[in-house]
Amino acid sequence: MPVKLIRTDHDQEERVKLILRDDTKFASVKIAFFQYLSVAVFLFLVSGFWQLQVQNQEYYIDRAARNRIRSQPILAPRGKILDRDSRVIVDNHSSFSLILARENLKTEHLKSICEGLDIDCDDLRERLRRFDRTRAKYESIVIKDELTPGELAFVEAHRGQDTFPEMELIHAQRRLYPRNGFASHVIGYTGEVSDPELNTTEFARFRQGDIIGKAGIERQYNDILMGVDGQRRVIVDNRGRVHKVIDKKEASSGRNLNLTIDLDLQAVAELAMENRRGAVIALDPRSGEILAMVSRPSYDPNKFAGRIRSKDWNEIRDNPDNPLLNRAIQAQLAPGSTFKPFIAMAALDSGAIDDSFTVHCGGGASFYGRYFKCHAAKGHGSVDLHKGIVHSCDVFFYNLGNRTSIDKIAQWAETAGFGQRTGIDLPGEVEGIVPSTRWKIRNYRQKWYAGETISVAIGQGALTVTPLQLAHATGGLAMGGVWYRPHLVRDPSHQTPPRRVKIDLAHAASVIDGLYGVVNEGGTAARSRLPGIEFCGKTGSAQRVSNEFMKAHRQKNPLTEEDFKDNAWFVGFAPRQDPEIVVVALYESGEHGPEAAPIVRDVIKSYFDKKSRTTPATVVAAVPLRQQPFPPPQR
Amino acid sequence: MEIFLNRYRNLTVLLVVLVAQLLLLAFQVKSNGDVRLIRVWAVTGVMPLARVVEAVRANTTGFFSEYLVLLDVKEENKRLKSSLGSLKMENQFLKTELATADRARALAAFQSRSPSRTIAARIIGTGTGANSKVVFLDRGSNAGVGKGMAVVTPDGIVGKVISSYPSASQVILITDPTFAAGVISQKSRVHGTLKGQGHSICLIEYIQNEEQVAVGEWFYTSGDDRVFPKGLPVGQVKIARSGKMFFKEVFLVPSGLQQGLEEVLVVLEGVHQTIPDSPETPQTLHLLPAPPPDPNAAGQHGVLSGNLSTDADQMLEKYKRTGAAQGHVFGQAGNKPPNFNLPPDSGSVQPPDGKAAVPANPPLR
Repeated sequence: MPVKLIRTDHDQEERVKLILRDDTKFASVKIAFFQYLSVAVFLFLVSGFWQLQVQNQEYYIDRAARNRIRSQPILAPRGKILDRDSRVIVDNHSSFSLILARENLKTEHLKSICEGLDIDCDDLRERLRRFDRTRAKYESIVIKDELTPGELAFVEAHRGQDTFPEMELIHAQRRLYPRNGFASHVIGYTGEVSDPELNTTEFARFRQGDIIGKAGIERQYNDILMGVDGQRRVIVDNRGRVHKVIDKKEASSGRNLNLTIDLDLQAVAELAMENRRGAVIALDPRSGEILAMVSRPSYDPNKFAGRIRSKDWNEIRDNPDNPLLNRAIQAQLAPGSTFKPFIAMAALDSGAIDDSFTVHCGGGASFYGRYFKCHAAKGHGSVDLHKGIVHSCDVFFYNLGNRTSIDKIAQWAETAGFGQRTGIDLPGEVEGIVPSTRWKIRNYRQKWYAGETISVAIGQGALTVTPLQLAHATGGLAMGGVWYRPHLVRDPSHQTPPRRVKIDLAHAASVIDGLYGVVNEGGTAARSRLPGIEFCGKTGSAQRVSNEFMKAHRQKNPLTEEDFKDNAWFVGFAPRQDPEIVVVALYESGEHGPEAAPIVRDVIKSYFDKKSRTTPATVVAAVPLRQQPFPPPQR
Repeated sequence: MEIFLNRYRNLTVLLVVLVAQLLLLAFQVKSNGDVRLIRVWAVTGVMPLARVVEAVRANTTGFFSEYLVLLDVKEENKRLKSSLGSLKMENQFLKTELATADRARALAAFQSRSPSRTIAARIIGTGTGANSKVVFLDRGSNAGVGKGMAVVTPDGIVGKVISSYPSASQVILITDPTFAAGVISQKSRVHGTLKGQGHSICLIEYIQNEEQVAVGEWFYTSGDDRVFPKGLPVGQVKIARSGKMFFKEVFLVPSGLQQGLEEVLVVLEGVHQTIPDSPETPQTLHLLPAPPPDPNAAGQHGVLSGNLSTDADQMLEKYKRTGAAQGHVFGQAGNKPPNFNLPPDSGSVQPPDGKAAVPANPPLR
């Protein structure tokens, strides 16, 4: 009989217990797993929170700010540049500038924007790259100033969300320069600071995109003229639309600057140099104040007022006449016969000649085996110092040079201020060359030959001067040995004490007497006489190339002979006693000195005409600065 | 009394009848009537009933007889109305066709005369925004229409394409607040920027207060915006007045939207034209002949710097005129030195007070 297993209640209970025990174990494992998972997720979230809120808080705050805050520049107007009578030479005017919001910028838009606004795209890309290195992404960049009505129409038509949302217009004050290059070399121009400039100590404190003075007064007095830009921070939406202005720092404008320039004289000098190459300098020898300064050809600084177009820049840069060169302070040229008064002073002061010294001019003379011609082929006959200056006899001055050593000539020339910067408050002045034995050894490691002095005696050879140096030197000579530093800003703090040199006033009087004769006694500038004005002066014609070179070149290419014509010079001052104005004119390729004399004559005439019409109260008093009066002429 | 009447009711009735008879006889004698009273009474009593019966009869017979007649009239009326409606519709259709033909001819004429390459398109829908002035054209990228292309009619510019799809394109109209285009005035060749205002009048911005713009003057596209070819009519000035800041407030009625919009031309390749010299007259079928080239159209100066000058410019001009008045050539040998104290334009006349002449136009300070 099979055994029948009977499940007892006990078994059943055990079984149930077992089952219940297993289920509990299983559930507890799962619960533990989910607990650990929850803790892990929580830790992960906490670490993320830590990273976002604590560890990189600044970074994310900055990024969030960039997404909604946009910084827009408020450009500060520069100070005005005024003449000595506070008449406006350089002004500011309202204009529109285009800025690019770089955070919205799509590079594929650049080509179309450049095309529409006539911007050099490569140049713009390069600027953006430079900007990216130094400026935060949310800072906008000005890409074009002085928008024309047409460019404004383009910007307005395309700056919507559908086309180029990165384009924004701002209202700014821009430079307004005189037209036609009027006084452009004095004023200079402004422009965006470049990478090489940022690496100089002068401009190291500026940032990419800043507008600075690049040349002339704009550069020299940049700190005074330049204001401080302001800034406007705005909240924009994701489409770049301004919703709120957060804060606004107003721009502070630069200070006005009064120059010593007299617009009346400047205008006449500009007109006299129209269609000519060269320079004109007018200065007051009693103070060193520059009354007029012209250099031609010139350029239009208005083209630089915003950002000059590559086409315009290339046009100026590639111009063979180099319009950016300020010939008044940067042209180093042989002065020709305008240097003769200083040769005479060197000869007289060194005792090489005395007042009674005469020579015979037969149209030329031989020195050291070489024949030197006089400009008057028939000769001047018997020539003394006075006649030698009045008629600019080369033979007379060959003899003076031959009797005076080159070092004595150099010494007097340096006393007069040649061969060194005058110290005018303009950047880029050059020194010129005053040759001497030491100079030749230092530069060529050769000894000086006496024959070379013959050329220097008529202002040729290695001797080079700038028009400003000639005006400065002549003014000091006419003042009896008082040289003021030429300067352009009419501010007493910029004036330095004069350099006084004790010279023999009798010798100076003899020379000045000759200079008076040049204009008033049938001399080389007799046609430029000014009735009623004691106008003294000296003509000069300076060869630009040697006769041999000219002869060789004429055979090769006669068409360019015009380029090698002599430079015409004239230096004049008035009145003879206590001069108030000295004017130098350099007329490149003018061929003959008398061609430059009318330029000086017109400027001096305008000076005395203006003086006669101004009220006594405003006339600058003629202060007798000369050490003592010139003695009367000996003749 | 009541009891008495009830008791002698028959007698009472008889008496009443007799009395009434007597009274009626007396009334008939008194009134001298030809018709006997009984007839009068009969007629009077019957007439209302007869009238009702007659009315019912008449109405009934009339209704039936007239209904049958009216049925025809109504049908005829209906037919006539239907005919009239058809004729009206036909008339309207023909008018529309005529206008369409006119516009088509105008478009065709414009297309043939315009040096720009264009394609005709029909407006098939409008936008939904409250202020937006957006329409859809039935031509899209398959037909060469692309984003940024100009949309015009012979009357003037209409808008520009802002989106292009294969078979349709979206056009923003000249009146949309986000629309802008470069324009130039016909007479004084003043450049400005036209902007939509969300209604039928547009605003022209960036015209300096010193510039001359007259009411009624026509404006044309300047081509500056690189969207619209130069020389297309834009509209006529309705209001021109000086603004508070630098710029005039010039409002213009766009001519391109005046005749309604159904067919337009999309400029596929624009060619700039010159601005007509004579005033534009509203027309749809022909265009004015091409005028001579305009030498004054180019505006190279900044929008606010065109005519500005400094004292230096004034001074140069003054001395130039002084020299010219005295026949003096500056810096020229053999020339008599001039008297710079003479007024610039009066030859040899000395100024009475000996002072320098004041420039005609005061310089900017």
